[in-house]
Amino acid sequence: MLEADPYGKRALDFVQRLQQLSTYEEISAHVMKELEWFGFRHLTSFSMPAPGQQFKDCMWFNNRPSDYIERYSEQNYVLRDPVVTELRQNLSPYSWSDLRKNRPLKKEEVKIIDEAREWGSRDGMMIQIVTGSGSMSCFCPCGLEPDLTPRARTALEIIAIYSHHALKRATLKAQRQDIEHTPLTRREREIMQWVAIGKSDEEIGQILSIATATVTQHVENAKRKLDALRRTYAVVQAIRLGEISV
Amino acid sequence: MIVILKGTQRSQQAGYFERMFRLRHQIFIKELGWPLPSSNGQEIDQYDVDDAVYFLDVTDDGILQASVRLVPSEQCSLVADYFPHLVETGDAARDPRVYECTRYFFLPLKGHGRDNHGARVRVLAAMVEWGLVNRLSYIQCVVDMTAFPGFVEMVPQTIPLGLAHPYGGGRSAPGGGECIAFRWPVTRDVVDSLRTFGRARRRRFVGENARDLAEQIPGHAGERSPELMH
Repeated sequence: MLEADPYGKRALDFVQRLQQLSTYEEISAHVMKELEWFGFRHLTSFSMPAPGQQFKDCMWFNNRPSDYIERYSEQNYVLRDPVVTELRQNLSPYSWSDLRKNRPLKKEEVKIIDEAREWGSRDGMMIQIVTGSGSMSCFCPCGLEPDLTPRARTALEIIAIYSHHALKRATLKAQRQDIEHTPLTRREREIMQWVAIGKSDEEIGQILSIATATVTQHVENAKRKLDALRRTYAVVQAIRLGEISV
Repeated sequence: MIVILKGTQRSQQAGYFERMFRLRHQIFIKELGWPLPSSNGQEIDQYDVDDAVYFLDVTDDGILQASVRLVPSEQCSLVADYFPHLVETGDAARDPRVYECTRYFFLPLKGHGRDNHGARVRVLAAMVEWGLVNRLSYIQCVVDMTAFPGFVEMVPQTIPLGLAHPYGGGRSAPGGGECIAFRWPVTRDVVDSLRTFGRARRRRFVGENARDLAEQIPGHAGERSPELMH
């Protein structure tokens, strides 16, 4: 058994405290306070959108300056930013400075990284979080002079994993509370799942060995509960509310 | 169906054990390339002791879909034997009320869609429930850092025992990586977290070869141990 150094101790204390928090505000304040100790000022935490999903719906936290976000988006930097394009070939955590050291960068790529300085970030980490469900997320803190020593990076990885899950859970919980709805029954969920992949009521009836009229009734009930006039919108709502998946 | 077996039942329930050991061989040795002992296409190691408890998820058609092994840490502990440096909290790796979970695998099945997601956590929920009945305080585990986010996603109460440490030459070496030790408190809350996660959506298809193997092995669905099933 080893004695935890300040990094180990901080990370473990951070997790313990985080597990006691429940609101989004408490969680994000706790995360930012911890990141500040490491010298980070900003954080972007998001998941890769699934097909048909919007990027803004997968953003769990972003406090980069709004004019920076605007410029980044206007210039469409996301396609050329080496910190982002590196994701295609690297699953391990890396820093912006690692890229400068390990990869010959084009002038334009250097310019994109350098530009962030004007908005208070010289260096940052890109920590990818892949879960068993196959979804990929990124936790990207940045700042002027962040601590990127090996133990700091290891501690940051734990902080990233727990923070990402906590921020995501709190965001989704808040969204669910925004939209009050009567939960679907197991049968309605099952049928909406088939509707979502384009099956007709008749086909669904055959799959589940029930009458077409019964299927239609279940769909109508689901539409009412999901506050939807059309079945397409009912599918969208059912996905948003986590009742079904595609 | 969840089947719970004790290590002492190895000859009595030979069908289940053989299927599990063969799948472990396929997954851990052939697919993941772990340097583990094997004989006759089966993976059996020094922790497959009489006191080990196995949780198996078997489909209605007799396919072994998921399995996990639980051993008393006082007797068998991967953390204490090979990874004591992963514990930075000062906790003792061996404790009569702490059991260790190893050899967890789960095989998504084609056509099982939504149920695959549930199957992923069913054996784990059964394991924690068994821990509740047997008055355990924690279940501990060592995992590769790439798998760790999945455990935190399933159980937000997951307690890291330290930071990650490299093994096998670290992340840049072939076959190497970083690993971490963690504990799950044996509580009703953790069972609820697993159940909630199991009800949520998700699916993923891995271990194609292992799944084919599972389907090829003659079924033993008729073999049941009623007193140990739930």
